[in-house]
Amino acid sequence: MSVSEQDQGAPIVPGSPLARVLDDYAVPGLSAGFADRVLAAAEVRPAPLPEVRRTRGERGWRLGRGIAIGIASFGALATAAAATGLLQQFDIPVPTAEKVWASLTGKPPARAAAPAPVIAAAPDAASEPASLARVEIVGPVDTPEELSEAFRRIDEVREGRYAARRETIAQRIDKAIEQRRSAGLPVPTHEEEAAFRQRVDEAQARRQQLADERIAARRAEMERKVANGEALTRKDIVQPLREDARALERLRQLRRMSPEQRREALRQLPPEERRALMDEYRAQRIGAAAPTPAVPAENAPAE
Amino acid sequence: MNASSEPSTSAPRTAGPGDDAALAARLAARDPAALREVIACHAAALHRACYRMTADAHEAEDIVQEACLRLWDQAPKIAARHPIGNQAAATLRLGGWLQRVVTNLAIDRLRRTRRLSDGEVPDSADEAPLADTLIEAGERDGTARALIMALPERQRAAIVLTYYEELSNADAAEAMEMNIKAFESLLHRARAALRQAWTAQGDAP
Repeated sequence: MSVSEQDQGAPIVPGSPLARVLDDYAVPGLSAGFADRVLAAAEVRPAPLPEVRRTRGERGWRLGRGIAIGIASFGALATAAAATGLLQQFDIPVPTAEKVWASLTGKPPARAAAPAPVIAAAPDAASEPASLARVEIVGPVDTPEELSEAFRRIDEVREGRYAARRETIAQRIDKAIEQRRSAGLPVPTHEEEAAFRQRVDEAQARRQQLADERIAARRAEMERKVANGEALTRKDIVQPLREDARALERLRQLRRMSPEQRREALRQLPPEERRALMDEYRAQRIGAAAPTPAVPAENAPAE
Repeated sequence: MNASSEPSTSAPRTAGPGDDAALAARLAARDPAALREVIACHAAALHRACYRMTADAHEAEDIVQEACLRLWDQAPKIAARHPIGNQAAATLRLGGWLQRVVTNLAIDRLRRTRRLSDGEVPDSADEAPLADTLIEAGERDGTARALIMALPERQRAAIVLTYYEELSNADAAEAMEMNIKAFESLLHRARAALRQAWTAQGDAP
């Protein structure tokens, strides 16, 4: 600010020319009866509006209420998203209550009650029936008795698997019918249901028969080897046939593909190989109770 | 400083500490005599300041009446905040409260007038055409009024409150609800604008 500007803004000194000019600004008096008019207006003036209910003291509570509502809404939305599986779609891990509790208490989470294993696990030594332990297999299988014992144990496992598959298939059929009934859709009659179950059983039986034929051929070969004095290891017994192994590996590869890639890969296969794979896949679908691919019974652990 | 033609009403009485609180309590109790007392004490000064800001006697009376009625309305609340016998009662100054209301009302009305009319009240003080027109008005009273009217409304209020009403800068800042520093800056600009307008009239020594 320059000096002249400072002078311009300086106080107006009384008696100065400017002050004399300003002092000539005359003001008329209030009109007569001004006070009476104001009093009359006050008499007829409507009562002031009531005070707004929101006062300063309530502000904190309003803020807290807003925060509480926001947190509750967010929690409800997050819970709904977790319950509907939306968070998993975005790869957001949702810890279970057991994990959270375990992280708080420092104890390992208690295993949730797992669903009943679909496939009968290989019976461990402790739970094996006493009959299974009648012949002890020591080292490689090199005697017909030991081989028979191995076959018998494998058959035990196979029977367990078949029983579990049958049970699971029956459960799935019941569940599907129940779902249709609860959705108001038409459900099969008892006759239709029985016919359907019979078709499934027949398909299972066909599949089992095919497997039995393959297994019988393998067992005959293994018996011949043992009779010739060759010793069989666990790997020889459990390992699938070479062609079976190839088919299984191919199935595993196909499963890892997307549906489009899988269709394209199947188109490129030779027709007979594709047909075999589809048959194998259908057979597995029927007996989908087993989480592992349907493999020849020899794949099951022998002990 | 006040012109001889000012109303003969006496200057605002000097209220002792707590007097205004007692008056507010009477107003809150709807005592018309209390309102009459307030008018007798403050209306003339309020009208004077208001007239110098608006240059309209009727408008000034209207504004003062509105301020008094607002005091009548707000009295219960004011009395509740300044109960008699309390320390807060000593700080109550009804004159200052009314001055603040009147100043705000006057500024509001001036702004409204400026919006509705076509630049009857100029925005800046140093517009030569206006000064020339005012010089042609002739009379000294008219000159003083023209000088004041040429100021923007807030600068006008600052000059009226500090020069004519002789309020301290702090009181004037409170009446205009401003920070003291901001008010001093405004007052500085107002004085400078006033001098420039006066110089433009050619009456400067």
